Amino acid sequence: MDEPVKPLGNIYISHQAIATRANQSALESYGVVGLAAKNVVEGLAQVLVKDPNLGVVVHFDGQSMAIDLFIICEYGTRIKSVAASVADNVRYQVEKCIGLPVSQVNVHVRGLRISNPD
Amino acid sequence: MSSNLQFSSSSGEPRVTSLSEIDGQDLKVLIEAALTWLKTNQQTVNALNVFPVPDGDTGTNMLLTMQAAFNEIQNSGERNVGKMAHAIAQGALLGARGNSGVILSQLWRGFARSMDSQENMNAQILVNALKEGRVTAYKGVVRPVEGTILTVAKDISIAAETSNAKTNDILQILENMVSEADLSVQRTPDLLPILKQAGVVDSGGKGLFYLFEGMLRFLKGQPLESAEVSVKPLSAINLSNAMEKIEPGQDFEWVIDFRPNEELDSNKFYNDLSKIGTSIQIGEGEGMYRMHIHVPDKNRDLPLEFISKMGTILNWTGENLVAQMEKQQTYSQPVKINLAPVVPGQIGVVVVSPGMGISRIFASLGVSAIVEGGQTMNPSTEEIVKAFENLPTDKIIILPNNKNIILAAQAATTVTLKKAVVVPSKSVPQGLSAMLRLEPDVDLEHIAADMTRALQDVETGEVTVATRTVEMNGVNVEAGQVIALLNGNLVEAASSIDEACLGLLAKANTADRERITLFYGENISRNEINRIVDKIRAAYPTHEIEVHEGGQPHYQFIISIE
Repeated sequence: MDEPVKPLGNIYISHQAIATRANQSALESYGVVGLAAKNVVEGLAQVLVKDPNLGVVVHFDGQSMAIDLFIICEYGTRIKSVAASVADNVRYQVEKCIGLPVSQVNVHVRGLRISNPD
Repeated sequence: MSSNLQFSSSSGEPRVTSLSEIDGQDLKVLIEAALTWLKTNQQTVNALNVFPVPDGDTGTNMLLTMQAAFNEIQNSGERNVGKMAHAIAQGALLGARGNSGVILSQLWRGFARSMDSQENMNAQILVNALKEGRVTAYKGVVRPVEGTILTVAKDISIAAETSNAKTNDILQILENMVSEADLSVQRTPDLLPILKQAGVVDSGGKGLFYLFEGMLRFLKGQPLESAEVSVKPLSAINLSNAMEKIEPGQDFEWVIDFRPNEELDSNKFYNDLSKIGTSIQIGEGEGMYRMHIHVPDKNRDLPLEFISKMGTILNWTGENLVAQMEKQQTYSQPVKINLAPVVPGQIGVVVVSPGMGISRIFASLGVSAIVEGGQTMNPSTEEIVKAFENLPTDKIIILPNNKNIILAAQAATTVTLKKAVVVPSKSVPQGLSAMLRLEPDVDLEHIAADMTRALQDVETGEVTVATRTVEMNGVNVEAGQVIALLNGNLVEAASSIDEACLGLLAKANTADRERITLFYGENISRNEINRIVDKIRAAYPTHEIEVHEGGQPHYQFIISIE
């Protein structure tokens, strides 16, 4: 995607770069134990290659970004709070790293991991 | 056997000297103590947060989570400690708010699971439960960040385990846990660079520390509703902001220097003082102490009496706060300014304003943030950014209102992620004229262009006293003369303010204009203003003339001619 023209040339940042940053931030967020493929095809590809952008889709409309996250939560956490803090964390880290505003972070909870049944 | 603890936040003798087992009701009481102490220290925890994210108030989040946990058990008569712990975990889970709240709920969840349905909890069970809590909490994240509440929970659990090897007394174990938690919190900046940069410790870890400390303080009979008093060196004692507002019961202020007869027990001293007044501060100097207190009218003489029993009074001052506040209020107008709220997506305007009155006028026109500054006090880029960074919108217009501030304002637009535009107003009248064109819901660029055009609609006059002798634009000025500037250029030097004003208005072709607005400064009297305005009215009888308090320093008048 393009950034506004800079005096010394242009800066291009790929969706993959942004997705990687979002993926890392999501994994550092408390309550998120993994990211999930957004569809079956991607899920199959994931078996073959470890994808650093897994579970993240970035949209850019020329002004700001919208990010979709497909996450797996820890069973026994309050999903609403986990989703809210992963969205905050991803937005903060991506804006800080990339320097472009993030208008939306949509969190899709794709599953729960049960490590301790109660 | 249970120790039958009863909750009360007041201080007194230690409630227990040792504790071998606790049951469900004891646990409930300890939770209430933890909650009360966290509530007391909530703002301290909030102040530590370094991430500027919307749910960033760690102290509040942890408090709400614990409050939910306590609500769940408040009316429970359950004696079984395991079942009680499950209820707490359930409440914490449902009420978990924010990151730290979720982690806290996980700690409780592991804690409860390990106890299953134990009747009573002894030291061994406590240690295992803390360990299970920590393990469960760590499972909730793929890449645990160290230097956070997780690290502190881990260190607390390890401390409990180590001290359990030596003793089976829960009180002693708790004591070791709290002191380790304190150290662990202090180590967090070494583990997490962002904390070190911000010069703080981790907020979630600090919150967890307060929870355990609250339990310990309760058992020891220390107060839970007033924050711990630290005796500071005299130089660190800050009395300047103690006067910002007075609350009921703060009629008199005392500052007393004294030399105690015997060594001062600061906590006991503080508790005794808190019975007679508020805003207590204690400082320590060479062999002497200074204490500061606000007391209600009926306790007016108590501080002196109290201190004179404890030692020798070296020096004291007392002031009637109510009278002082009244005096201040008559001298300065009420300082409350209602800024326009912005809705996300709307345009927010930040202005630089040289005086209180002008700020108020800008606020009434729909400005969302104000930075103080003007001719001799240019605000920095950082101050400008700070003013709008927290507004809940991405579209910002900056009105610098002074030609020396335009550059700083332009720099501010480059260091923010928001879309900020400078409308280069060189004076307050230009800024006001631009503000009248603001439509918060229209396209930012469009409005900024419109506002920039509006700058030309108004002539700006300024009247002040020359500080040195100079010749400029063919005008000879002697230091001490009154001078008038039109759009920043010197046009008139006169011996009095009214002469300067009239000269200025003549040069500005006021006869062809319709409206004159005068903003008077802080250094001119009411009578003087009325006299001058009457003269202007006589000279321009058909013009609309408005007079407002500007409150700006240095300039007797800022005049807008439209």
